[in-house]
Amino acid sequence: MPAETFNVLIGGKAGEGVKKAAQVLAHLAMASGKHVFQTDDYQSLIKGGHNFSVVSISDTKLYNSYSAIDLIISFDDRSIRQHAGQLKPGALHFVNGDDAASADSSMIKLPLGSLMKEVYGPGGNVSLSAIAIFCAVCGIEARDLEQNIKREFKHSIEQNITYAEAVNKLVKKLELGEAYPLSYSKMGARKLYSGNQLIALGAWAAGLDLYFSYPMTPASSILHYLALKRESHKVYAVHAESELAAANMAVGACFAGKRSAVGSSGGGFALMQEAFSLAGMVEAPLLFVLSSRPGPATGVSTYTAQEDLFFALHQGHGEFPRIVASPDSFERAFSLAAELMDLAWECQSPAILLTEKHLSESSADIFPEELSLPSAPEALVSEAKPYKRYAVTESGVSPLKFPGSEHADEDDVIKWNSHEHLESGVRTDGAEAMVMMKDKRLRKAETVMTATKKYQRVAVYGAGESLVFAYGSTALELREAMQHHPFKLVVPIYLEPFPDEELEAYRGCEAIIVEHSSQPNFAEFLRIKLDINAKANILRYDGRHWDSKELAERVREAENA
Amino acid sequence: MRSMNTGKENTWCMGCGNFGIIAAAKKAITALHDEGVSLADIAITCGIGCHGKIFDYLNLSGVYGLHGRALATAQGIKLANPKLHVISFGGDGDSLGEGLEHTLFAAKRNIDITLILHNNGTYGLTTGQASPLSYTGYKGLSTPLGNVENPFNPITLLMEAGASFVARAYSAKIDHLSGLIQQAVRHKGFSFIEVLQPCVSYNNSYDLYNERCVMMDAIPFDEINARQLAKATEQIYLGIFKQELKPEYCEAIKVQDNPLQRAERLAMIIH
Repeated sequence: MPAETFNVLIGGKAGEGVKKAAQVLAHLAMASGKHVFQTDDYQSLIKGGHNFSVVSISDTKLYNSYSAIDLIISFDDRSIRQHAGQLKPGALHFVNGDDAASADSSMIKLPLGSLMKEVYGPGGNVSLSAIAIFCAVCGIEARDLEQNIKREFKHSIEQNITYAEAVNKLVKKLELGEAYPLSYSKMGARKLYSGNQLIALGAWAAGLDLYFSYPMTPASSILHYLALKRESHKVYAVHAESELAAANMAVGACFAGKRSAVGSSGGGFALMQEAFSLAGMVEAPLLFVLSSRPGPATGVSTYTAQEDLFFALHQGHGEFPRIVASPDSFERAFSLAAELMDLAWECQSPAILLTEKHLSESSADIFPEELSLPSAPEALVSEAKPYKRYAVTESGVSPLKFPGSEHADEDDVIKWNSHEHLESGVRTDGAEAMVMMKDKRLRKAETVMTATKKYQRVAVYGAGESLVFAYGSTALELREAMQHHPFKLVVPIYLEPFPDEELEAYRGCEAIIVEHSSQPNFAEFLRIKLDINAKANILRYDGRHWDSKELAERVREAENA
Repeated sequence: MRSMNTGKENTWCMGCGNFGIIAAAKKAITALHDEGVSLADIAITCGIGCHGKIFDYLNLSGVYGLHGRALATAQGIKLANPKLHVISFGGDGDSLGEGLEHTLFAAKRNIDITLILHNNGTYGLTTGQASPLSYTGYKGLSTPLGNVENPFNPITLLMEAGASFVARAYSAKIDHLSGLIQQAVRHKGFSFIEVLQPCVSYNNSYDLYNERCVMMDAIPFDEINARQLAKATEQIYLGIFKQELKPEYCEAIKVQDNPLQRAERLAMIIH
């Protein structure tokens, strides 16, 4: 039996601070020695609508949040209506008595709205009530509540404390007992990170200097996070006028010798196609982060999907080697961003980190000491005179030089060219030269393949009768699901070049294939690459992540079908 | 100083205005070099079209990028190494059509880059379609009945967008253009030079420019005056329309190198 999880849901309108309150809860649980997993369900709007966050808390590591709730705090009636059905027996449902027309006698009504008006006057921050209720239910003392509020909120500190303490007292007066006692100690060494934060940090740890992007959910928080780190980390996040600008700027930054990255979702990637192809042609070492959401076109901005697998694998027109990999965990988001940055530079090729909203924007506790970084590959240096940017080599990779750097002098002419070119970088349309340069670039495919072998390219988890294949954040949902039903999960981390060697043992196998798309794209990919026969396709394309208990049940059903 | 020639066969038409522009560019680079600018610190970018061939003929480092994106690439270069002198060559279809957004935003940011606009009023290399700067009534393959759109005025457009150095030259007046390029490169901020450039094959405007071009004897005293002169058609004014100092982008965001190696970076994340 898996360790029991305690699942908290906070629901309310956009603008009410639902996500922030959930983060504070997660921090409180982490500081009490617990593992956490937070998912935020929000819509593409600023005010109103319905947002909810779930924080699952456990003594063992969590790979997903659960939808069966132990403690729910509804700021409005809509939250009551939407979530009343997902409560575990005996769950506590706190509702805002001032907006709770659908409440029944099983729910605990607190005057959250009127109390807020009393304390703050106009405005106010109802999210503090969720933190106060959580502390009461978990036995976290009032002084710890106060300290956390002071640390987490910058404005209206006095009112926040007064309001939270008033709500906290109301709950304590009910003498409900401690539903989930936490021994808060402030000693936790773990940190709460979102997938996007770890992608940003992994790339930065591997030398990221410049990040170019145009906001598009769910990739935007990479831009926001790095923009905040400008002074402390000396990293420059540029909000460009468009994705086209971002990608072309990034190619320019690579030319001048800086480790650079761009990020977007499917729509923005569609706009960057030509620049991706440019990176292939000029051999720019550029990291692209593609965080998927449901499409096509604008699609559904704030939900998760894996519709872009083939899109990622076939980015850019024309023939050149591509690198695509997808992190299957938070820790991997960090290490893979670093690996792909290194691979891009080692092979002078664009590399794509493919992920999804579920990993990008969910958060989990990470023990930073466990984050791992690859060692930097050695840079090729050229002493040849005259310098030739596209010197033909066996590996297909030509040494780089950067204008204005200490390694380049007055005589060095460094030409990157989007036209087919000679070794010098000067344009050509000569037949022989075309073949020579195409062959040089295509030889890099072998170089890329060899280079990826120093990294972990496939992950295998669990054991059991049945074999399940997935990639990306679906692996998180499945790792949590195997707590409820055992199976063997195989996850290709690298998708291009495909890690045939590690996966050869599965050639021709029968497997259950789980993915977030309406068409079995990943299953088709596995059929092409490994001749894998889909025993069952578990497809989900409503933008929502799986509840892992439900997913375990679906796997069980698939086994018995 | 090394030769400015690459040895690549030149395929511009006989009499093309681009010959004047490349001659002026070489002259300006030589003068800048004589003043102490290292060729190792110069990077060029260009778009796609007749103007872009200058990349293959000028023996300078740079990126021959995508159509329309020369200024985006140039801005990435500048951000990555603000010490570089970055000169971008653009065609009118390139910089004011496909890549208009980058031109306006580079000017808006006042990033320290020089844009030399080869304004031949047509898409030369793709056989003479109307460009964003083609006159109303211009007949080309895509407008056989005459262009019904009005052309942009690049000078007033760039002034409005925020360029801090705005000038106009004529490709046949090489010394003047060379002088402007030197001033533009030395100018701290976004500098823009519109070069009137006849296209002998599709828009031969030599007679018009020879007849109407007039050199201004001073920078217009204010922006209203500058606009009037920039829009004048009976006489086409050449020279500097605007030159001012204001905060430059890379300086404003304080771009600096990060010397931290990855072990130090990892340590920073862990602690």
